[in-house]
Parts: sequence; structure tokens; C-alpha cells
Amino acid sequence: MSDAIAALGALVLLLVMAPVVPGVATRTRAALTGRRGAPVWQPYADIWKLLRRGTVYSRTATAPFRLVPIAVLATVLAAAALVPLDGRASLLGFAGDFVAFAYVLALGRFVLVLGALDTGSSFEGMGASREVTFAALVEFALFIALATLAVVTRSLSLTAMLGAPLGAEWASAAPALILTAAALFVVLLAECARSPIDDPATHLELTMIHEVMILDHSGPDLGVILYASALKFALLGVVVARVAWPIAGYNTVARFGALAASVIMVGAIVGIVEASMARVRLTKVPLVIASAVALSALSLVLVLR
Amino acid sequence: MTPLWIGLLLVGLAAVVQLAPRLQSDAVYTTLVVAGSVLGLGNAIHVLLHGGIPVIRLASALPGGDWVFGLDPLSAIFLIVILATGAASAVYGCGYMRYAPHSGRSSHAWFALEIVALSLVVCARSLVAFLTAWEVMAIGSFILVITEHRRVEARRAGYVYLVATHAGTLALFALFAVLARGTSDWTFASLAANIRAGGAARDVVLALALLGFGVKAGLFPLHFWLPPAHASAPSHVSALMSGVVIKMGVYGLFRVVWLVGAPPLWWGWTVLALGVLSAVLGVLWALAQHDIKRLLAYHSVENIGIILIGLGAGALAAARGNWTLALLGYGAALLHTINHGLFKSLLFFGAGAVHRETGTRDMERLGGLAIRMPATWLLFVTGAAAIVGLPPLNGFVSEWLVYRTLFGAGQTAGGSLRLALLAAPALALVGGLALACFVKVAGVVFLGVPRSESTAAAREPSMWLRAPAAATAIACAAIGLGAAFVVPPILGAAAVLLPPSPDVSVAAAAAASGSGQLSIFAGSVVAVLALVALVMRWLRGRVAQRVFETWGCGYARPTPRMQYTASSFAAPLIGLFDGLSGVRAHRGATVFHTEPYDLVLDRVVSPAWESVQRAAVRLRGLQQGRLRTYLLYVVATVTVLLAYLVLSSRR
Repeated sequence: MSDAIAALGALVLLLVMAPVVPGVATRTRAALTGRRGAPVWQPYADIWKLLRRGTVYSRTATAPFRLVPIAVLATVLAAAALVPLDGRASLLGFAGDFVAFAYVLALGRFVLVLGALDTGSSFEGMGASREVTFAALVEFALFIALATLAVVTRSLSLTAMLGAPLGAEWASAAPALILTAAALFVVLLAECARSPIDDPATHLELTMIHEVMILDHSGPDLGVILYASALKFALLGVVVARVAWPIAGYNTVARFGALAASVIMVGAIVGIVEASMARVRLTKVPLVIASAVALSALSLVLVLR
Repeated sequence: MTPLWIGLLLVGLAAVVQLAPRLQSDAVYTTLVVAGSVLGLGNAIHVLLHGGIPVIRLASALPGGDWVFGLDPLSAIFLIVILATGAASAVYGCGYMRYAPHSGRSSHAWFALEIVALSLVVCARSLVAFLTAWEVMAIGSFILVITEHRRVEARRAGYVYLVATHAGTLALFALFAVLARGTSDWTFASLAANIRAGGAARDVVLALALLGFGVKAGLFPLHFWLPPAHASAPSHVSALMSGVVIKMGVYGLFRVVWLVGAPPLWWGWTVLALGVLSAVLGVLWALAQHDIKRLLAYHSVENIGIILIGLGAGALAAARGNWTLALLGYGAALLHTINHGLFKSLLFFGAGAVHRETGTRDMERLGGLAIRMPATWLLFVTGAAAIVGLPPLNGFVSEWLVYRTLFGAGQTAGGSLRLALLAAPALALVGGLALACFVKVAGVVFLGVPRSESTAAAREPSMWLRAPAAATAIACAAIGLGAAFVVPPILGAAAVLLPPSPDVSVAAAAAASGSGQLSIFAGSVVAVLALVALVMRWLRGRVAQRVFETWGCGYARPTPRMQYTASSFAAPLIGLFDGLSGVRAHRGATVFHTEPYDLVLDRVVSPAWESVQRAAVRLRGLQQGRLRTYLLYVVATVTVLLAYLVLSSRR
């Protein structure tokens, strides 16, 4: 029971601090490139501002467009319920819940992309086409990484694949787990539209992937989408962090502290990556994702051998 | 089995009603088909929950022995697919053929007969009964495919199908000839005993099954007949072909596994590999299509692939004696068979409505139909989400079972079975590509603005077309939310394929674990969606809302031609898989257009067929119609034979 309460507490903590993560990433990037940058709580201010602004809907748009903010937030929330955020227990865990995790996020993407096509804009069609292309490749890499975790922990539930049993395997399978964490980090960069795959700060629609799909959203719709993106960023950050840093052994307070610290660290690392490498050309993006495939495939070979 | 017999009799009666000029009426026809199907469905579900029914033997004086029929849980699952999809498609067909009244009547009669033939295929328990029902089914689908025989395209598709299906039947004759070697009793029970006692070559039987049933199932590379046939048939026929008829190939493979017991490892690996190839190539080729019905047809190849991945992994586990994984794999394949029957017919219903209302199947000419046909759009997008495997719909439940099988295989200690895990990332890639493909269909056809005038004039179709689609959509959602109640009986049916032992029932309980939580998860997804929708409504209510033109980055006068097209949407993925994707691209300063072709039909089968024809032309010189030449042939033949006799007797 206390595990369930702790899981709920961890979820609330994640919900509250999610917007910090992109804030930290942007701030780190700014600092490393010699600028001062916006404060880390800037995303809170942005979202708060948008929630009070009026909205404009496209004349062409129908239901999917209005469903986008609802679906992206709800699917990330449902996915978060499956992850052992504090390293010990999730709200809902069962054999094969990792499939549910990946596919419920895909449901969010399904609606998001349909919403983009709903506007009839060629820019948003372009973003939609790119998003589904890269997502298909990312899915491939993600499942190889999940396969490694499943083989190492001999479990089919994220509670174990990212929880205490994984921590116990670090002694024997460290090389494979380091490779898996690296692969999952590339998956995070792609899924959360960060450089070198996508540039969240670009002003040129032609080169965007994720941002261009939400070009027509405004007001509370955009605010909720921004919040959901931040939450997805934080959630995938937790997944990467739980592979790299097992915390199941700590006491409750330390686990919560570690959760907060790991999310901020992931944000900072993403900032460092963004500061140190430019965004690659669109035609080269599959190669970046292929690096995730290579890393995770190597780790799978190590554990299957 | 009595309710099933009465049900099939009612469906058969529906065929008679359509043929008699005085009696014909859509209302009577649909009532009979639906009532008969409901009776049969009830019987099948009862068998699924409470176990099989002993065989019924119809004495026959004809060669080949008695005709035997039976109904076990395996047949019951396929009966559910046949009757549920069949009844919905029959109702839909009545509304659909009103757009083309001259060819409707006899086509409806054949449709009802096809449902009966399909049901008999899965209930037959003796060789002659099975092959007879199989041939009636094959010919029936040929006649249904060429319903619109005035079009060249439909005739050509029909002939390709007819040749392919009979090539398959030939393999089946060989299969049963091997099976029946050394036994005079041609019931399935004695054939099973014969092969298990070593009376027939098991490996040959299994290889012939892959060939004969593989053609029917449409697995790669034997799928080439499938896209043209499914695209050219009327949509209710496409729904039946895609949802049910190709499943008879899957049924055949399952029945052969039932006959031989646990198949050897090589067969499991072959099925698994063919499944992965069919799934990946099927979805890739689907992405390249612009004809909405051809696209759906290629997705049948993909989904047959997913079914075979489950069957192959299950067979591997059975060969290793791992009953839990065997049940999971077989169960996944069986559930996906039901699910695909439901969502694929749902999608064909939607595609048919679009085709009838707009007069085109070319996605490049469609667009903006969501406003004009809101109910059709909602039903189609439900089917799209289900086929992609998104929770909380039914496709997710069966894909979850497949993943559990593959990951479970990866966790077994030692042995080659672990390598089955490698199919899991491939399945994930297929899922991602399927999402891309169905976003393309749903987005390009229904969203944005119309790309042609006929599309702009489309309206919602009649209730005949919407009601069956709504029924299948509800079934998709019900299986998705009710996994806890659906998965255990399916696994119970899969147990028929394993040797009866107490271990198997323990394994069934282990395999069913998690299905309850899966239902809870599916329910929570719906609940969270509803909750966030309420919050969003409140947030939107607090601010001013306006409706304006789509933001064109400053460009003020957008036209429909500026939208992303089906070609351009799929272009990045097609480019990634260059060479495999079967596409000719036309690039110009103002035009980008891609043209798909089938790598197997257009590059292998058709050229091979043409060279056979060229060889035949050269042989034509032998046949000149002159009597003396023929007499010369006779004399020459007799001389050669005599010489052979003399030479062989001297030795």
C-alpha cells in the first residue's frame, strides 16, 4: 500500500516539475553557448500566459484538431501510470505493460498527426509526414532496448524492468545497460523533438518536425500541448535515468529526491548535447536514429549471447 | 451443432430468396442472413466456452467415404470470424449494390452461399467434405470478385485469383494424398493417427501446407493475387475476402498443426520468418498505394504476417515443450484473426462508402470528407486506430499477446528459442509504419479540403452502409476494453492444439495473467481522456474563441492543391526503403507523383507467365490441323513406346 502511495506521490511530483525540464535544457544550452538565457521556470510562465489567451481555430479544422491537446496530455498521463517513477512501484503494472507504454504514446501521436493534417496546411502536412517517418524508426530502436531490459531482468513489467531487479543486474550486465541507457537517450532526443534531430528554437517552418505540426494551435490548446510535451520529456527522462541510475534501494525521501534530481540532470544533459552539436540535415536524421538502433542492438547481443 | 445447422440453412435460404424473382427482397434476405448468423454465432460461442461437440457423420456411398463434420473450439473461433463479418458484410452489400442495381441479385445469392461454404470448410472433419467445401468457397469468391465484370480490371483480377487459388488447391491435393497414404479411412481423426504413427511424411505435409494454405492466406511471396482481387471486388466482397476468406489459409495451417501435433523447429522458424517478411513488406507496400482499397488489401498481407508471427512463435515453443508460450503464440494468432476480421471489414465499409459517394478510390482526388460524412469518418478512424494496434481497441490486445510471446521466448534459458525475440523489434517497426500509413489514409481522404469536385459533393451514405460498420466498430471497442473476458477463452481454444495434460491448463492460467490489468488499463485510458476533455472544455470556456483561415506562414490565398498529397506524405518512408518499396517516382518542377507496382506480380509472376506463353507459341507449330501430321505423331509415339517395351524386356 505504501508503495502505491509513494507511486502516486512520485507522479504528482513529476506533474508539478515537468515544465522545469525543458527550462533546464534551454538554460544549459544558453549558458554553454555564451548567453544568459531564460530562467528555468520560463515554461511555467509561457504555459500560464497561453492558458489565459484567446484561441483561433482554422476554418478547415474539425474534431481531430480540437482533440489534439486532450489526447497528447491524456496519453502521456496514462503512460506515466505504467512507469515506476520512484524506482520501486508503478500505479499499474502487469506482464507486457511496456507494450501498453509504447502504444499509448503512439495513440497520442496518431491524434497529433491527424490534427496536423486537419488544417489542410502544407507546412503541417510536412511536419506530420516527418513525424511518422522518424517515429517508426524510433519505435524499432525502443523495442530493441526494451528487449535488452526484459532479458536482463527476466520480467515483462516495467516495474521490474526499470525497478529493483534491474539494479541487481548492474553487477553482471553493466556494459549492456550502459549501451541501453545511451540508446534510450537518443530515443528521448527524437521523441521529444530535441537537437540534433529537431530544433525546438528554430524560426524556419520548413526545417521543423514537431513544432510545425502545432503551428495552428493557440491559447489554452497550445498551453496544454506545451505542458504535455514537457511531461513527455520528463517521463522519458525518468525512463533513461532509471536504467542508468537504479534507486530502488534508497528510502522514500531519498528516492523522491533522486527522482527530482534525475529529471533535472536529464534536462541538463540534453542542454549540453544541444550546445555541443548542431541539428543535422533532415535526410541525415535516420542515421542519428540508426545510432540508437546500433547501440541497443549491441546491448541485446551482449545479453543474448 | 443443431443451432449451427439451422443457422446455415437460414443463410442458404437467403440465397434462394434472392434468386426467386417473386420473393426477392433485401429485408427478407438480411433478416435471414442475420438470424442464421446469430444462431451459428451463439453455437460457436457456446462451444468456445464449454468445449467441443463430437463429430456428426453423414453416410455416403460415394468414393472417399463418409462426410464428417464437427465443431471444436478451433472451428468455433473461425466460425465467429465468418458469421460476424459475413452477416455485417451481407447487410452492407444490400445498401452498396443499390448504387449498381443490375448486378445485385445473383451477387447476393452467391454471397450467402459463400458464407455457408466457409462455415462448412471450418466444420469439415473428413477429406472429401473439406476439399468440396474448399472448392465451392474458392469458386464462390471468384464469382464475387468479378461481380462488376464489365470492367477489365475486375476480370483480370478475377483470373489472377482463379489461377492462384487453384495452384493452391493443387498443393492441397498433394498434401492430402501424402496424408492419406497407407490408410483407407479419410476422416481427420484417422489421418491424425496415421501421421502421428509415422505413416505419412510429416515434413512434406507441413511444407505442402505452407504452399497450399499460404496462397489462400496471401503470405509473402504468394500474396500477388490479393491486392487486385480485393481492390476490384465490390466493397462488401472485399470485406469478406480480406476479413474471412484469406483466414481460411490460416485455419488450414492451424488444422494441419492440430493433425500433426507439435511441428518441428524448422517449420516454426519458417512460419516466423515468413510472418516477419509479410508484415514488414505488406505494410511498406501499403504505404506506397494511392488506391484506398489496394492499400487496405496490402494491409491484409501485413496482418496475415502478424498472425503468422504468433503461429510461428507458438509452434517453436510447442516444439520445445513450453506450453505457456505455445498457448500465448497460438492464442495471439487466433485473437488477431478475429480482430483483423472485424477492423478490416470496418475499414472496407468506410472505403466503400467513400468510393460510392465520390466515384473514385484514388486518394489524390479525395479530401475533406470528415465534414461531409461525419459518421463514416468516425467509424473509419476507429478502424484505423484498431488496425494500428492502439489502445483501448482490439488490435492492441492481440499485438500485446504477440509481444508477450516473443519477449517470453527471449527470456527462456538457453537454446535457439531465444532468437525469436528478434521478431519483436520488427513488429514494432511494422506498428510504426502502419501508424504512418493509416494517418496517411485517414488524413488525406477525410481531412483538409477536397481535392476534386466530385469529392466536394459527397454526402453521408444510407443507414444500410453505416449500421454494419457501427456494429463492427462496437465489437472492436468491446474486445479492446474487455480483454479480461476475451483472452482466457481464446487461450482455451488454443489448448486444443496441444496434447491434453494437466500442465496445459496450468499454462493457460499463466498465459492469461495480465489480461485483467490490461482491461483496467484500457478503461483508464478512456477515463483519463474523458477527464482531460472536461478540463480542456473548462479552459476553453474561459477564453475568447475565433475561427479564421489556416495559418499559411504569411501566405494568404491557399488552394487545395497546396495540401500535402498521399504521394508526398509517404515519400520520406518510401525513400528510406528505396528498392524494396516498389514505387516509380515522377519528379518535376511542379509535380511530385509516385506510382506503385507489385514487386512479386509485376516483376516475377507476370514476366514468368509471359515467357511460358512465348514458349507455348513456339510449340504451336506442332499443331497444324493436318490429318497426316497427326497420323505421323501417332505412328511415331507408338514406335517409340514399342521400342521402349522391347528394349526394357530384353534387359
